[in-house]
Order: sequence, then structure tokens, then C-alpha cells
Amino acid sequence: MLFRRIYQFLIVYCLGVGLLLGVKYAAGLSDYVIPGPDLIAKTARAMASIYFFDGLNTLSVTILGQMISIAMAFSVGILGRKSSWAGSFIKVMAYNIQAYPIVALAPIIFILLGDGFLSRLLIASMICYFPLLLSVLGIMASPVKDIEHFYLATGRMRWQLEVKIRAFENLSKLITVISGSATLAMAGTIVAEFIAADAGIGYSIRIALYQSDLAKILTALFMIGILISVYQGLLETVGAQVKTKWSAPLGGELI
Amino acid sequence: MRFFYRAILIPVILVLGLSQAGAETIELDYRLKWLFNASVAGDILALEQGFFHRAGLDVTVKEGGPEKDAIKELELGYADFGVASADQVIRALDKGADVVVLAQIFQVNPMQWIYRDNQPEILTLSDLKGRHIGVTFGGNDETIMNTLLAKAGLGPGDVRISSVRFDFTPFLTKKVEIWPVYRNSQGVILEERLAREGEGVRFFNPAAFGVNFVANSVVTSKKTLKTRQGIVTAFVTALLEGWEFAMDPANEARVLEEIGKKNKGTQGGIRSMQLAATRDLVRPSKSMPIGKIDVKAWEQTEAIMVKERQVKGPVNILSRLELR
Repeated sequence: MLFRRIYQFLIVYCLGVGLLLGVKYAAGLSDYVIPGPDLIAKTARAMASIYFFDGLNTLSVTILGQMISIAMAFSVGILGRKSSWAGSFIKVMAYNIQAYPIVALAPIIFILLGDGFLSRLLIASMICYFPLLLSVLGIMASPVKDIEHFYLATGRMRWQLEVKIRAFENLSKLITVISGSATLAMAGTIVAEFIAADAGIGYSIRIALYQSDLAKILTALFMIGILISVYQGLLETVGAQVKTKWSAPLGGELI
Repeated sequence: MRFFYRAILIPVILVLGLSQAGAETIELDYRLKWLFNASVAGDILALEQGFFHRAGLDVTVKEGGPEKDAIKELELGYADFGVASADQVIRALDKGADVVVLAQIFQVNPMQWIYRDNQPEILTLSDLKGRHIGVTFGGNDETIMNTLLAKAGLGPGDVRISSVRFDFTPFLTKKVEIWPVYRNSQGVILEERLAREGEGVRFFNPAAFGVNFVANSVVTSKKTLKTRQGIVTAFVTALLEGWEFAMDPANEARVLEEIGKKNKGTQGGIRSMQLAATRDLVRPSKSMPIGKIDVKAWEQTEAIMVKERQVKGPVNILSRLELR
């Protein structure tokens, strides 16, 4: 799963760069508009290690932000799963806040938290949290009638059991949502770094943009792609293992 | 009747048709460096006061922005003329772009630093020692500040440098002492805002300390210059007429009216102050012609960029300046 993610990314990246180079040579553009293979390779050699550590810095905030988002989304999703006023209020709030551009909210965040680690973490969590919350709410608010009916009828239904049943029955969906939210958390962190941070790959991209240096941006995009592919691949692998363990009967084998 | 058609009507129609064709305006796209405000007053007035039209040009003046790059647009064919900063021009030449400079709008770079007047005044470059200075890493203010510090013989430990971005909070909250601004836009806004709080400001202008890093200039591709020389001349002439008009204090009301139509987000009083600040940068002395290319400043800018390793080596900038 991990290797599939990486080679799929490499295919997409190479196709993208190939398309750019095709445009460059077809239109006879200079290296200032689209850098040639030599310049890309030279820049990649010079910047790879710097951008790798910048990327790791971003990924560390991404992972932390995503974990916070998952914890919050599950807490709120479980609390708001009943089709009550609170559930619908949470949904409306999530939809509304998603509609706000983070660049407009950023100055408020920076005034409250400064422009360091906490702001990056909060913006990453915000961008990742709301889509995650809506998915979790959707899953947790949908009863699995066939199974739940038995426990309801026998009076043995507890909220913990209800959550377990719904999570188990939608495990594939939940794993896909969690793995997909890694991309959102990464995008959120990069946006935060781009707007106002002095560390991370988003900050490096901003500097490269100031210098109109597309070769540096392509190198940074490569690092982002590789790191997020590895992280998502690992999440999917862990997800598959969790699924296998949950699905197998205690002490028995999976059929 | 047939004679009338052949001898009179047809020639008349032909002559009218040809003269009509000759009067057709030439469509051009002009990409600015930044958003519509007082710092592009001349560009706006060249259009709105009819200077382009009278030169037979139908110019679309396109607003710039942080992600807009006029030199790239020239090469991609999205623009015929544009405004670019000197560092953009030199970087582009370093990477093989085919760009020429037609006119230099700002004789003094608007990129300056603001600080409160209750702080020690910067009278010599060594006064920067121990100060907390903001720079935009990767921006041309970083290059300028590095040059100033090197000139003062100050090392990295002698000053405290902080990364700067879009919002002014670190300066307003006094976390950073000396903050980079565009003198005629953000500088005016900050000056006015702090004045309301009873605080005065000063501006630190690198040009006053011998660092003349060229700012915005009008550019086109060398190919356009060669193949459409008449149009280039007509465009530059009309554009500079627009700037002459816009920088004349006698036309202030008309200029502010046109800027106000395009820049509704800025208050009238601020726009007026921005226009006054722009005048000082575009025409520092009455005798100076608008658009003059300051060759020495360009040479210095190139030398700074080479020294700061912003480019691989000299780009022979003098060969790219179209001195009128």
C-alpha cells in the first residue's frame, strides 16, 4: 500500500513536470517562466536536504493537527450523533465555518496566538477538522438498524455499544476519511506557513515565489508529495491492520 | 448613373474605408505590478484621461498583485507591456528571458522602513546596531537590508532580524522596531494610524545612505521593441504623458477621482496622502523628467544582486535599458 502510494505519486509528478516541459519547449519559453530539466535538477540538488527538513517540520505539525482534529471530530461527532438540536447546530456551524477563507481568519488567529507553532497547528486543525467532523457525524448519526434493533429490543443498548456498532460497520469509510484528512491537514499547515510562519515548507514556497523561482517550487512540491504519500500510505497500512484485527473473531482466524 | 457609381461613389467608399482602417486603434494589454492605488496613478490616468486613446491605442490596464508577474506574461503573450521591479528584470535576464526596460517610474524606491519617532533616529548606518528590524525573507527588502548592513560593517549578531508578512501587528504591538513598508501606500496608512494614537514616525530610506535599488519600471520584450517600434514609442509617450498629468498637483482632484473609482477600499484622505507621497518618489525634483532611467542605480542594483548571489552573474543590464 505504501509503495503503491509512492509510485502513484511519482507517476503524477513526472506527468505534471513532463507537461510543463512540453509547454516550455513547444512555446519556446525561457527558464524564467518554466525552468528546464538542467535547472530543475541543479535546484533539486541544492535544495533537497533543506526542503526535506522543512517538509518534515510541516509534516510534524500536520500529524499533530490531524490527531487533534480526529479526537475533536470523534468527540463532537459522538455527542452530536443524535438527530437533536445540538447535532443539527454542530452541522450548520461546521458548514458555515468551512465557508470562511482561512486567509481572512488568519490575522485574528495571529493576533491571539502569535505567528509561531500554535497558529500553524490551529489552522491545520481547522482545515482538517470540519470535513472530518461532517463525515464522522454522518456515520455516527446513521443507525445500523439490523444490529441495533436486537440490543434495543433486549434493553442492552448503551451509547458506547451504539458507537462501536456504527464505527465497526463503517470501518472502511472511517479509515478512508481519516487517511484522506491527512491531505487536508497538510494543506492547512502549508497555508498557515505560507501566510504567516517562519518555518516549514509553506514558508519556503513563499520565499521561492518572491523570487519567481519555479524550480524551487517544483522541488518543494516533490517533497510535499513524497512525504504526504508516505504518511498516507502508513495510515492506510495501519488502517488495514486495525480492520483485520477488528474483523477477526477473538482467538480465531479471519474467514 | 453608372458613371456616378464608377467615377465618384466607389472611390469615395474606398477612401472612406481606408481612412477608417487607418484610424483603427491597436489593442494592447498592460500588466501592472500591484493593485490599483495612488502608486499607479499615472497608469490609470494615461487610460482615463485619454492619452492612450489619442495615441491610437486601446490599452487594457490590468491590475497586478503578489502572484502576478508581468515578465512571464510578456513571454506567454498575455501582455504586451508590463511593470516589473528591477530585481524581477535582473532575475529574468539571468534565466534567459528576453526583456527590455523602457522607462523607470520610481526614481526613489518606495521600499523603505518605518519606525517610531520616539526611537533613536537613524542618522548613520551604524545606528542600526542593536535594533530589531523586520525583513521579508526572499523579498527585495531582504537584499537591500543585507546590503545596508554589509555597508555598515554589521554582522548577523549586531542586529535582530524578524520575518515579516502581510499584517502589521508585530510593528503595531512594538514587537518589531523597524518595519519594511512601501512608503507611498502602507507607509501612509501606518503613519496616519499611529498619528491617531498620538505617535509620530520616521522613514528609513536606503537611498539616503547610498543604496539605490531600482523599483518599478515599464518593460516589454525585445521582440516587441524590434517588430513594433512605432507602437512601443506611442505607448511609452502616452504613458509618460499620463504620469506627467497625474503627478501635477494642479490635477489632484481629477487624479483622486479616477483613483477613487478603481480603489474604493481606501479612504479619500489616505488616497490624497498616498498621491502626495508618490509624487516625491516619481519626481523627487521638478527638473527631473518622469520615466528617466537611472543608469547608475541599475548598475548598482545588478551589482547588489550578484553580490547577494540572487543571480548567477552579471546580466549586462545596460544593454537592456532603452535610454530615450
